[in-house]
Amino acid sequence: MTVQVGQELPELVKHPTTRQLVQYAGSSGDFYEIHYDQVFAKSVALPGVILHGLLKAAFLGQLVTDWLGDRGTLKTFDVSYRGLDVPGKPYRCRGRVTKVEGDDIELEVWGEDPDGQRTTLGTATVAMRS
Amino acid sequence: MSTTTSVVERLRARIGQKGSPTEATVEAGHLKRFVEAIGDPNPRWTKEAPPTFLVALAPASMHLDEAEEYGKGWLNGGNRFEYFEPVRVGDRITATSSVADVYEKTGGSGSLLFIIFETDYVNQDGRSVARLRGTAIRR
Repeated sequence: MTVQVGQELPELVKHPTTRQLVQYAGSSGDFYEIHYDQVFAKSVALPGVILHGLLKAAFLGQLVTDWLGDRGTLKTFDVSYRGLDVPGKPYRCRGRVTKVEGDDIELEVWGEDPDGQRTTLGTATVAMRS
Repeated sequence: MSTTTSVVERLRARIGQKGSPTEATVEAGHLKRFVEAIGDPNPRWTKEAPPTFLVALAPASMHLDEAEEYGKGWLNGGNRFEYFEPVRVGDRITATSSVADVYEKTGGSGSLLFIIFETDYVNQDGRSVARLRGTAIRR
């Protein structure tokens, strides 16, 4: 399959739950209470518990590695968290090819909340096997 | 105000400072729990680490007591990974973090403090496997 500018990555929809946030806290060692303690989260002016930024990064990482398969290698992955996301709502991961230079490919990736707001923006560069 | 100014100044004095290196081995069980938590069923991740695993293996920020005097809480602003070598089960990884930058931004909804950390990950053969740049925000 030839990679072309404008090509969209197959969408990945995640359904994060509070249980998943606890699993992520445990396996990542990030025990900051805003990810599992509703009372604490509200005490620091959040709407309730929120997704770990790095969990959203992991979702977008999966979007890229599912698409890439063994056709190439991920070189850089840059994610910026622009909005808060809460469990119980679907999280849509999307992306498209923005640049192709020989074997070097650049992708734009993003995560959308149910209102279509892009709460996470990112870029990835990959080197395709020649 | 004078208190927050001095917090920023004290933190800025840490720019360039390195934390103590931490070492950790990539264990199959830990990797399994991590990929279950992120919900990525790719069989490749039974042997190899997915893109964000290194942060779960070794801390990517340093504990800075004085930062907690600023604002109410932390938010993660962003993460930038650069990959040089694959990370596999059994690898022994040494992570070394440093404070790359500290700055304050004032906007419509108040002031935010940004702390930029850089972490280098090196494997048991002394090869650099990845570098991470992370933006921690106090709000």
